[in-house]
Parts: sequence; structure tokens; C-alpha cells
Amino acid sequence: MPGARRHPEALCRLPPRGEAALILAIGVLFLHVLLSCAAAAEPKRILLLHSFGREFAPFSDFSGRFREELVGQSREPVDLYEASVEMARFATSQDEEPLLGYLGALFAGRQLDLIVAVGGPAAGFVQRNRQRLSPSTPVLIAATEQRVIDTAPAIALGATLPVTVDANALIGNILRVLPETTTIAVINGSSPLEKYWASEMQRVLEPYEGGVHFTWLVDLPFDEMLERAAALPPHSAILYLQYWMDKSGVPHEQDRALDELHARATAPIFSYLDAYLGRGIVGGPLLSMQVYSRRAAQAAIRVLAGESLIDIRPTPTGLGLPIFDWRELQRWSISEARLPPGSIVAFREPGAWVRYRWPIVAVSVALLVQGAVIAWLIFERHRRQRAELESRKRLLQAAHLNRSAAAGALSASVAHELNQPLGAILSNAEAAEMLLDADPPDLAQVKEILSDIRQADQRAGEIIQHMRELLKRRGEIDAKLFDLNDTIADAMRILSPEAKKRGVVLDAEESRTPLPVRADHIHLEQVILNLAANGMDAMAGVEPQERKMTIKTAVNGKAEVEVSIADRGSGIPKDKLEAVFDSFYTTKQQGTGLGLSIARTIVEAYGGRIWAENRAGGGAVFRFTMPLTKVQPA
Amino acid sequence: MQAAALIHVVDDDMSFRLAVARLLRAAGYEVALYESGHHFLQRSSRTAAGCIVLDLNMSGLDGLELQRQLNEVGSLLPIIFLTGRGDIPASVTAIKSGAEDFLTKPVAKEALLAAIERALARYRERQGRREALHSLRARVSTLTPREREVFSLVVHGKLNKQIAFALGTSERTVKAHRHAAMEKLGVSSVAAAASIAERLGMLADGERRDDG
Repeated sequence: MPGARRHPEALCRLPPRGEAALILAIGVLFLHVLLSCAAAAEPKRILLLHSFGREFAPFSDFSGRFREELVGQSREPVDLYEASVEMARFATSQDEEPLLGYLGALFAGRQLDLIVAVGGPAAGFVQRNRQRLSPSTPVLIAATEQRVIDTAPAIALGATLPVTVDANALIGNILRVLPETTTIAVINGSSPLEKYWASEMQRVLEPYEGGVHFTWLVDLPFDEMLERAAALPPHSAILYLQYWMDKSGVPHEQDRALDELHARATAPIFSYLDAYLGRGIVGGPLLSMQVYSRRAAQAAIRVLAGESLIDIRPTPTGLGLPIFDWRELQRWSISEARLPPGSIVAFREPGAWVRYRWPIVAVSVALLVQGAVIAWLIFERHRRQRAELESRKRLLQAAHLNRSAAAGALSASVAHELNQPLGAILSNAEAAEMLLDADPPDLAQVKEILSDIRQADQRAGEIIQHMRELLKRRGEIDAKLFDLNDTIADAMRILSPEAKKRGVVLDAEESRTPLPVRADHIHLEQVILNLAANGMDAMAGVEPQERKMTIKTAVNGKAEVEVSIADRGSGIPKDKLEAVFDSFYTTKQQGTGLGLSIARTIVEAYGGRIWAENRAGGGAVFRFTMPLTKVQPA
Repeated sequence: MQAAALIHVVDDDMSFRLAVARLLRAAGYEVALYESGHHFLQRSSRTAAGCIVLDLNMSGLDGLELQRQLNEVGSLLPIIFLTGRGDIPASVTAIKSGAEDFLTKPVAKEALLAAIERALARYRERQGRREALHSLRARVSTLTPREREVFSLVVHGKLNKQIAFALGTSERTVKAHRHAAMEKLGVSSVAAAASIAERLGMLADGERRDDG
């Protein structure tokens, strides 16, 4: 119950003198609360003593987190005071008296439970003034590098919470993610501590001098440092240590130096503190202030609880897991494959996904649906095209077979038809021979005969040509504009011998107007042949004088021509008027049942309709329509 | 060559009709052309010697039907069928119905002319037979009723005695009638008389009468 806990905590901060008055004022209702409060001791007072003021990394980061962790972890109320050994920034030793006086006044009459010296200068201050600074209060030296601690004199009643920064690991990281690096510029401020660090780093990094050139941008005026950082040669990297104070003594709080450096620098910036991550450094193994602050808080709580400082010997907190700033990786084109295993990549561009999740989801779903619909339509289209192609091929095949069959059935009649001109030619030729033998030869008549022979020959040729067309396999539909009257005439020519043979009087009423249609004329002729053959078959059983077939055309209002083929045959049972067009429907012994089906397929392929009716006087009439093509008047 | 035999050409194909006509005319025949069977029945003069060159397949009245109708009216004109189709049932019907020939188009001149010559010979033969028959009928018609009765019984093989009995007369009278009849018919034997009777179709009648 954190809420219930916070309440008494707040009350406990009240000065103890007011307690009794409060009891009286509030009364018995809050008695138990007040009792529990009274049971608690005074708050634990802790002094955080900064080296450079609160706003310098890493100390700034430390104090904030340390306070958070402390309040979070402590079972007892804590009262945190902060002071800064500002003078530590300056090289010349300043008078520490005012601060000592201030602190002495601050804690006069108040028990100070713990002093936390943040950073080396603060530690030095405590060490120098141990006797005047609540000598019985334990001291924790935090946020101080192991090396600084090692060089400083020990503090009475003090323990250290060291950090270690492995410079080699920092350089190794740079060379790992940017192997082509030839120059590393080290940036460091000009305060005494910073100078210490600069020289320490120079010492440590010497082994690298062979492979990598180090440029020490230390102890420079700020502007010059920036300029030089902006003019680094290619394949350079910047190692930013800290920049608390420049050469002219101007402090740079809150890492403003890093911000400006980031804005100007032409090389990627590396550092060692996780607090800098997100402010322009590429990243690498970083010192985590969160981890360190938690450890420091744990140590502080143990001290507050009365543990002996001897027992508090935490291991130094070193560089933590490698963490990288995704944006910097992008900026410097560093592949994530180069990062050490187990690296964390932070600040991934929240990406469009995070920012516009729902619009993206909605749009994506819409696109997906749309895409699926399109894909499906395309697929369907292809399928239909394939099917159409296939069906057209099949139609052509079936039509061809049907035509061949029809031509075969008609061939006897057609052969007879062919014998007419052949007979005429022979007789004419023989007559001409006889005429030429006569004395004097009747040349005028011979001339006439020769003209007739030519005509008869032409006619024979046409019949043969026509049969060949009917029998020809048609690979593709040869759609052309033609006059349907011509097709009917062609069909009549090929049908009339058969009609004659069967004793059918075949009659075609030719239209007075041209009937322009666009189709393969052989296909339409086939339709007429099929319908006519069907009608003639239907008349096989009727009296010879009844065997009449009429082919008519009529233009109807819908810009269509309607062709009717009427017979006087047996007619069609009412319930079969539709079925006659089905494939394999046949009443004939020899029929394939495909003739009418193919006729329908052909007619419909050209956008027409076909149907059958019974005639009032007996017999059937088959009708089909064809769209008329508009022809530009000549 | 017999002069001026008339050849009737019936064919619904004008070009063929004309070609055959030219050929036949060049060969010296008279030719009459008809575009259909009906046309032939209406327009032809069938008194002259000749024959018919007939297309088997014609719309309307076809060749076989025309042949049947001509047979009915006792036409003497022999028929040569000319067809584009070698149709066996049709040719059998045609020949059984007395067709002179059954030719297919295109027809060689020799075949056609030979067929026509045969047909004309057949015509002449039919014509001769018909004329002989006519003269026999004329002679029979000169017999008196009694002579005719006696003649009828004689050719049926009856003896004079039987005839006299049948007619209720004397044998002598029968002999006189019989002699007169034989004289009129110009025959000297019973066999010759019987032959005449047979040709005129009198034998069957007599027999039937016997049976009846």
C-alpha cells in the first residue's frame, strides 16, 4: 500500500514540536496515524556534496538518480541536502571557509547521518575539512574514478563507491564500429580535474599511438575546440570525455558543450557515459548512472542502517553493456552488424509505425484488401483470358469438325453440283470440236462456247474453293466486315443440290438492303448450314410436296439482322425448344448433337442470340440475330 | 443418219442444257430444251421421232417422276437419264421403268451420241411395233361379230364341232366363218391366227372367259 505509506511519511516531516499540537487539533480519529509517526525516528539527513554544482555530468545525473533510488529503497524517511564545492572548478585554491560556515550553520542542532561526496573535488574537500564536517558522520565517496580515489588520501570514517572507465575499451569500441578510423580527437575541458583526466588518458592511450593518431583537443578555448572539431580529416572520430570548463574559465553546464560539438563536428562522437546517449554520441560500452546510482543508494542505506563502513566495499562500477544511438548509426552509416554482440540500439526512429500505427494499419489493410482484390481480379482476368482462349480454340476445333462433318454430308450433293459445270465444259468443248471440223466452221458459236466454258470453269472453281474453305482449319477467327446476303447466297449454293436430292424446295428471300456484319463469314455460313441441315432432316418424314424451307432476313429496330430458317418438318416438342441447343442433344441416329450447339456458340460469340419456335402451320423456325455494323455511307 | 430426229433435253442447269444442245445440234439432231419436267409436259411436241435426255435431279418434278407420268400416257420416247450422281437405287428404278440408258455427267460425246442412237433405234422399233399392232387391230375390226366369235374360239384351240355346239350352229357354218376370218386376217394356219390373237391381247380374255 504505497499510498498509505506516503501519508505518514509526509506528516513525519513536520517538526516534532508541532506534533502534540496536531494531536490536539485533529483529535482521536488520527490517533493511530500519529502514533505510528511518533514511533518513527527523525528523518535521515543526508548531505550530497557536489564537486562542480549540480549541473555537470555525470554528477548531475548521479544526484538525481541517487535521490530517486534512495527514496525508493529506504524504509525510513530521508531528508536530502545538497551543496556544491563550486570552487573546485578553479585551479587556485580558494577559501573554503564560507562553504564550511554555511554547512556548519545548516546542520547546527541537526543530526547529519551521511555525507556523500560526489566527485573527486568534493571528496578532497571532505578530506581536507573532515574535522569540521560532522566528524562522526560517515562519508561515502561517489562518482569518483578508481584512479582518483587511489591517489587521494584516505578519509576518516569514509568508504568509496568507485567507478572505472576503461579507456582501452572506449577506443576499441570506436575502432570496432568504425574500423577505418585513423584519427581520434579527444575532447576534454580545462578544469583541474579535467586536466588530470586529459593527462591520464594520454598516458593510457599511448599504446594506440601506432595505429591511430590522437588529437588532443584539450585545454582550448571553446570556439577553437569547436572549430578544430569541425575541421577534422576524413576517418576521424571524436572521444568526448567531459567539458565542464573551458580554458578561459567559462563553465559549460548541462553538457551544452556536447550539444554544440554535435552540431558542428564532422566526425562521429563517442563517450563513456550513458547520460550522453541521445545527445549526439554514437554509443558503445557506457557507464550506466542508473546502475551506479542504485548501488550507491544501496550502500548509503546500509550505512544509514548502521552497517560498518569497513564492510562496504563495493566493486567498482565499470562500463556497462554497449548501447548505441540508432540515429547516429544511421548518420554515420554504421551497420548494426558491426556492433558488438548483445548491443542495445536505442532511439530507434520511432518509425512511421510507432507514430502512425493506426493510420498505417488502416491504410495497409485498405491497401492489402485493395491489392488482394486487384490481384484476384488480375488472376481472374488471366484465368478468363486463358479460358476464353481455350474455349475459342475448342470452339474452333469443334466448329471445324462440325463443318467437316457438314461438308462431308453435303459433299455428295456438292460433287453433283460440281458435275454440272464439268459436264457443261466437256459437252461444250466437244461441240466446239465438231463445229471446228465443219466447213466453214461456225466461229461465232465457238467463241460463245469458249466464253461459256470459261464461266462454267469459274463456277466449278468457286464450288471447290468454297468446299475448301468449309474444310479449312481456322486457327484464328477471321473477323471481317461483309454482307450477310452474300453468306446466305453461298449457303444456298451449297445447300441447293442437297435440297434437290432430298426433294426440298429451298427458297431464300434476299434482303433488298445490304446487311453489314462483322464476323468470320465461314462461321455464319456454318450456322446457316447447320440450321438448314437440321430443318431438312426434320422434313425427311413428311410428304414430298410439303418439303419446303425458307430462309429470310429482317432488320429489326435494334440495329440487328434477324435470320430465320423455317421448315415444314415435324416441329419441336415445346419443352425441348431450349434443349435442342444443348450439346449432344439429338433425335437422329447419325447426329452428333453438336450442330445446333455449335450454331449457338458461334452466334453468341459474335454477340447474337439464337432460338427456336414452332410454326403455326407445323414445322419449326430457327432464328438468330447478328449485330449490324454501322458502315460509313460511301 | 436419220434426218431430223428431235432430242428433248430436260435439265434445270442452263449452262449444261445449252452445252448438250450445242453438241447434239452439231451432231445433226434437232434439239428442244426444257428447264423442268413441268415445262416438258406442257410444251413438248411428242409426235416426232426422238428421245429424251433427262436430268435425274431437278427441283419440283424430278426425272423419275416425269418418267412415270410419261409411261402412264404411253409415251414412245425413250429416256436417257443424265445425272451428276451415281445413285444406284435411282438408276435401278429408272431402268426398271424402261429407261433407255443411265449416264453420268460429265458425259463423253461418244457415250451420249451412242445412247441417243440406241434410243432412236428403240423409238423406231417401238414405232414399228405400234404400227403393226394398229394394222392388226384394223384387220380384226373387219371381222363380222360371228366371224370374230368363231375366230376367238379357234385361237383358243376349240374344234369345229365344239364351236358349232357352243354357238348352236352347224359344223359347216362354222367352217365357212372360220375360213372367212382367216382370209380377212391374212393367215393360213391356226398358229398364225393364235399369234395375232395373242399380240392383240385376245387370248387372255378368251381364257378368262373360259374360266368364268
